[in-house]
Amino acid sequence: MPAIFTVDPHTGVPIYLQLIEQVKRSVALGVLSPGERLPTVKQLATDLTINPNTVARAYRDLERDGVIETSVGRGSFVSQNGAKDRAAAALTDVASSAVDAAVREAKSIGLRRSQVRELFSQALERWYSPDGDAKEHKNS
Amino acid sequence: MTIQPDALAIEMRSLTKSYGDTIAVNKLSVSIPKGSIFGLLGTNGAGKTTTFKCALGLARPSSGQVLFDGHPLQPQTFESLSYMPERPALYEWMTGAAHIEAARRDFSKFDTSRANELAALFSLNLRKRVGTLSKGQQSALGLTLAFAIHPQMLVLDEPSSGLDPVHQRHVLDLMIDAAAGGATVLFSSHQIGQVERAADHVAILHRGNLVLEGVVEDLKASEKIIEATFDSDAPRFAELDANPNVRRIMRQGRLLRAYIRGTGDGVVDTIRAQSPTSVRVLDQNLEDIFLVAVGEN
Repeated sequence: MPAIFTVDPHTGVPIYLQLIEQVKRSVALGVLSPGERLPTVKQLATDLTINPNTVARAYRDLERDGVIETSVGRGSFVSQNGAKDRAAAALTDVASSAVDAAVREAKSIGLRRSQVRELFSQALERWYSPDGDAKEHKNS
Repeated sequence: MTIQPDALAIEMRSLTKSYGDTIAVNKLSVSIPKGSIFGLLGTNGAGKTTTFKCALGLARPSSGQVLFDGHPLQPQTFESLSYMPERPALYEWMTGAAHIEAARRDFSKFDTSRANELAALFSLNLRKRVGTLSKGQQSALGLTLAFAIHPQMLVLDEPSSGLDPVHQRHVLDLMIDAAAGGATVLFSSHQIGQVERAADHVAILHRGNLVLEGVVEDLKASEKIIEATFDSDAPRFAELDANPNVRRIMRQGRLLRAYIRGTGDGVVDTIRAQSPTSVRVLDQNLEDIFLVAVGEN
């Protein structure tokens, strides 16, 4: 199993949340397919040198969210039904809170509404083509 | 691995140790769940080693109690428990190989081939006498002996002191591997990054007192800094001082920082009422949390 996940244990963001986001991202983008097997808790914990209970906690939450399924003795797998949609919806939430944080930050350093709007149009310009689709960005 | 979620491997109840007028450990109560890796952090002289010694019966507690699997220390506890003191108890005149042979004869559960694997992992030359080994290599031999009995409980006092970064990582991997197999690990470290990686639970001792304890991931989620700037010097206001979720307040010129636990919504509102020019909420890593807890930030 390739180590497709990475975590940074030294940030203020809990490791299990980092893992959950990465699994959802991999499922939403098709890096992990429905039915594909995930590393075992022990395997992922030793691969990433993180606590096994932390990995187990991430897997429990992913299972609760319907993204993965775990069967005793067989391991954890990407759910066959609807995992991709649920993961994509979850990633929209991630994007939403990132946009929210960006606006909050802009506000906290005293930018006016019109300035923030301008920054957003610039960013949209840079990343999206005029018809609204995401650009195939060379540098992304 | 079948672990009862609430089963405790080690429980310290109001453990106290004083030497004359000096209280080395003051009413320490911690619960260490089975299958967890419990990191004990503290500055020098915080009481970490004394705690270990009292827990393992090497020093008599002044008061309080330590239970292993619900029982005070008893002969069978030692069958599946490995303790590595800060300076491993080794014979300087004996070689590493002789230590392994002695341990094989001493412990029924000692796994010689595992010991040889571990020695290779730490690049240990087993033919050398312990007296000629570096401090790091002595630690490596201590760890080799500690892990080779496949213990169910490990108590490791500064297990990676003197080891190079590669071998330090091996120590973490061994602890993680043991915990994934259901063993419980209690260890102390000066390296907060190691605790942040490997431990799920952490306790911070400061001058013998437990100043913070919890699940590492929950502490990160709940310990925040609220930073606000003002047009002129940061104001003083009683609502902030009185808020029980505020651990510390720092004012420096126009800048105000409140170290808080919880979501901080109430604190943010309190600060906003003072019309700051900016307010933001910052995450804290374990090092930040540690420094605030021991009051050195």
